[in-house]
Order: sequence, then structure tokens, then C-alpha cells
Amino acid sequence: MDRRTLLVRIAQGIGLVVTGIVGIPALLLALSPVRGRRRPAWVPVAPLGAFPFGEVRQATVPLARDDWAEKPAEKAVYVWRPAPDQTVVFSRHCTDLSCPVIWDPGSERFFCPCHGGIFAKNGDRVAGPPRRPLWRYDNRVRDGILEIDLASLPPVT
Amino acid sequence: MTMAVNWREWVEDRFALEPIREVGFLRKVPGTPWYYGDGAALVLLFGVLVVTGMFLALSYSPSPDTAYSSVRYLTERATLGWFVRGLHYWSAGLMMVMAWFHLFREIIVGGYRMPREGTWFLGVLLLFGIFIMSFTGYLLRWDERALYSTLLSLHMFQNIPLIGDEIVLFVQGGPELGARTLTRFYAMHLLFTPAAMGLVLAGHLYLIYRHGVTSAAERRERIQSREQQRALYAREKERGEPFYPDTMAKSGLFALAVFLMAAGLALFSGPLPMYPEANLVNSTMPQGEWWYWWYSALIALVPSRIAPWLVVIFPPLLFLALVALPFLDRNPYRDIRRRPWMGAAVTASAATLLWLSYLRYHSPWTGWPTEALPPVPQEVRLSPRAQEGRALFSRYGCNSCHPIAGRGPHVGPDLMRIGRRRTPAQTRSQILGPPPGSPMPSYADRLSEEELSRLVTFLMELQR
Repeated sequence: MDRRTLLVRIAQGIGLVVTGIVGIPALLLALSPVRGRRRPAWVPVAPLGAFPFGEVRQATVPLARDDWAEKPAEKAVYVWRPAPDQTVVFSRHCTDLSCPVIWDPGSERFFCPCHGGIFAKNGDRVAGPPRRPLWRYDNRVRDGILEIDLASLPPVT
Repeated sequence: MTMAVNWREWVEDRFALEPIREVGFLRKVPGTPWYYGDGAALVLLFGVLVVTGMFLALSYSPSPDTAYSSVRYLTERATLGWFVRGLHYWSAGLMMVMAWFHLFREIIVGGYRMPREGTWFLGVLLLFGIFIMSFTGYLLRWDERALYSTLLSLHMFQNIPLIGDEIVLFVQGGPELGARTLTRFYAMHLLFTPAAMGLVLAGHLYLIYRHGVTSAAERRERIQSREQQRALYAREKERGEPFYPDTMAKSGLFALAVFLMAAGLALFSGPLPMYPEANLVNSTMPQGEWWYWWYSALIALVPSRIAPWLVVIFPPLLFLALVALPFLDRNPYRDIRRRPWMGAAVTASAATLLWLSYLRYHSPWTGWPTEALPPVPQEVRLSPRAQEGRALFSRYGCNSCHPIAGRGPHVGPDLMRIGRRRTPAQTRSQILGPPPGSPMPSYADRLSEEELSRLVTFLMELQR
């Protein structure tokens, strides 16, 4: 190796070493949220008795936050009890692009405000761009209180 | 007097300003038409956005607990905060408009052709930088509209096959939209993207300085080789004008006009009004910013089989198409009259953007419940029984989808003069049992015979 090649290697090496020492940790820091595995997050909705059979009602659940702010502190969901022993908790986010659907008790349809998605009472898609039915949270009843697992649905649902 | 001259010379010498003046400003460039000022307008808007942004940051607080109140404070109480925010908002909007204008204009004059491919690539990067800036800028307001616009974009990322969830976690900063998201977007909007765009813009301008802009002769002649282009450009440059003050004044006037438009809009209509604070509880009809309406309409209109894929592949497809353009266009001419296909594509694209935005403005595809009675044209005389039917029409949510004489959502068919197309019996059976595949619900178990009869009476009387 002649003198010039050595100097070129040194110049390039300095760049590589500094870029590596700064860049790799910085990149890992930026990527750290991806590693977070979700643990079940059961939150109370309301006493089951608050939801009459056959009807769809809006309810709010507290959000268990794992960051440094209090807001948004709660989230609305729709609860439907098709039968006494069966409860369905819908996410309010449209399955097309997450806009908040609204329940219309008149026509018994869920309407999405964004691109024309319409869902039936049981969450099935009846019109518009969505392809899948409304998302359903895992739910259970503990001591007469309806609870849902916030982590049972993918992010942005 | 002599002192002043000496000082001027001293500064010019010690700070080595003379080459900058000679090479940067007094150099000759080919004369260009006024509409070449669109680039200068974009540079000016970028500068305005950076400066207004820095001053907005003086009283902005990037935490979900305080972000909304800080923007409120800034808009309503801080001296001229509303104006600075308005300037930022409208400069951003006009930057989007000017970016499209610049893109289409460069395609028309063949600005991506040899030897300006590098300039073109950096321009494409800047276009996507503008997209990222507007995507991240939304959320900082932390109002309802911002929240759902962001959720919508995040959902697009989730449609990416295999790694959708991971990408959402990466962009969102965690499993829920919250403090981590806002902080990440804040950093992207204030540090990462502007810094990157500043560097790319410097490169873009450097290449414009080196390769110039497409001159009149290049747009006229048949160009086969780089040597030929070089010779043509040199001749045009020889005959041209000094960059300062001629070109700068010309393109500066264009830029000024655009800037004054932003300032006027800020002054007279202010910044975007504040919607309620971001929440996941209220029922709301979120809307994207007007400069993305075309995209929203596109998503709503394409068949649902394609839509989820389209939202994922459209941006990278646009990027690849723009990058590939210089390699695909082998026409030796740059005159748009000799490139009719390109002319047609540009015209069609621009018209589609405007048409889709118009459609989104009216959003005829969205149904929405309302408590109000359905509007009925004045000439229609309703019997008391039909008036009762009209109340049922809204109680049973018929007006969530059906318009009457053009008023209301346009999801279902307009029911004005339905009596001329359907008999009462047909209307009854449609209400009780819509054909399979229709989005209309069946009212078989819900309406009493009496209610059904009133409703049908109302519908049959909907004519003049």
C-alpha cells in the first residue's frame, strides 16, 4: 500500500467510523417504537346492564397511556347486544381509512364521514370502499362490568 | 464619501464578495418568459414558511396536553399570532398549488431533458418533501380534523403488505396515537424535513446555476447530443440578459404576486379556524386540507377492490413515474406542440386534479344522519298524512342517504317524483325488502302498517 492509498483509506475511514457511531444508535433510537410488543390492556366500558338488547349504543373507555401525556384520555366505541348472552364492541374507526363512523338509529346503519363507507348493524360492510366489516374488540364481563381489550386490534383501528 | 467607498471595498475584499457578485448575480442568462418565475415563487414561499414557522415555534408546545391550547393562545391572544399563522397556512397551501404548477410547467417545456435530469430528480425530491411537510404539519394543531387526517394517513401505511403494522408503529411512535406521535411529527416537521429540503434545494439551485433553465432555442430546435445542447445554450446565453437585475426582477414579480396572495388570504380570511380539540369521542365529519381533496376523491371513487392498494402504491408510483420520465421521453424535440401525448397527459392530469377536488368539495358519496325534516320544494303541497310521513322519513333515517329534489346526501336515488317511476305497491316492497346487494336496510320488522302507509303517501306526493 502506498502512501496515497493509505491516506485515502484514513480519510474514508474517519467518515465511516463517525457515521457509524452516530448513525447506528440514532437509527435504533428512531426505530425503537417498532419493537414494542403489545400486552393485553383490559379497560372497563360500563355495567353490562346499561346496554339494552338489540340496540347499538355509544360508550367511552379510558385509554391506558404509556407515554408522557394525559390526552387523549378516552375513546368512544359502539356496543351492540344482539342477544342476552352475546355482546359485540365495535371500534369506531372505519375499516377503510380509520375515519370515525357514526351510528344512525333511524336507518340502523353506520356511516363513515370520509369516503362513503356504510356498515350494517352487525358491522358488515354494505356500501363504499371498505372491504372488511367493522373491527370488534375482544370483550369479557367481570363482576357485571363489560370490559374490552384495547390491544386486541391492530394499530390505527 | 470616500470613507464610505473605502469601507465598501474593504468589506467586499475581506469577505470575498466580488466573485459572488460577478458569478452569481451579474452573469448573463438566456431571457425567459414570465412564467419561469414559478420556481422563484416556490423559493420565496419556502423562505416564508421557514421564517413564519420559526416564529410560530416560539409559542408552540408539542404535547397533547398543551398543543391545542398553545395554538389557541397563539391565534387568539398573542400579538399578530393569527396573521403569522395565517401566512404559514396559506403559504403552505399555495406552495402545494405552485409545486403542481411548476411540475406541469417543467414537463411542458421539457425541463427534465438532458442535461437537466439531476435538477429534475432533486425537484421530485422537493415535491415529496412538500408532501411530508403537509402530512406532518397537520397534526401539530391537535384538533379533531388534524387527528383524523393523520389517522387516515397512518391507515394508508397499514395497508402496506407484510410490514404495515411495523411502519405504523414507527411513524406513530407507539401502538396508540398520542404524545409520541405528536412529538415525532413535531421533530419531522421542524427539524428533519426542513433541513433535508434545505440541502436538496441548495443542490437544485446549484444545478440550475450550472445547467441553466430550458432556453427558447432548446424549445425550438431538434436536439440530438449534449454538445449540440451546450452550443445552443451558450448562444442563447450570449444574447441573453443579466441575471441581476433583469431575471430577478421578472421572476421576483411573479413570486411577489404569489406571496401577496398568501398575505391577502392570511389578512382577510385568517388561518384555518380551530376545530374542537383532538379527541376520539365526538362524532365529527373530518375533512382533509383542500390541497388534498383530489386524493380523497380518488380514494372514494375507485372500486373498493383497488382502493386499499391504490392508497399504498400511488405515492411511490408517482415518484417512480416522475423519476423515469427523463429516460422514457426520447423525443428529440422539447416543443410541446411536437410532443402531443405529453401535452395531453399534462392537461388531463391538471383537469383531473381540479375535477376530483370539486367532487370532494361536494362529497356526494357520504351519507350522514340528520335530525332535521327532509327539505321539500315549495311547490309540493303535502297532505296532513304526508306531513306525518315526512316526519317518519327523517325518524327512520331515510334522509341519511336519499336526497329530495337534489337536497341531501346523494347516496341513494333522489326520491322527488318517485311516484312517476314506481307504484305505491312497488315502493312498499322496496322499503320492506330491498333487493339483495342494495345498501338500503329492510324495514320489514321496524315499521307498523300505519307508519308504512304514511311514509308511502309522503313519497307519492313528492311531485308538483
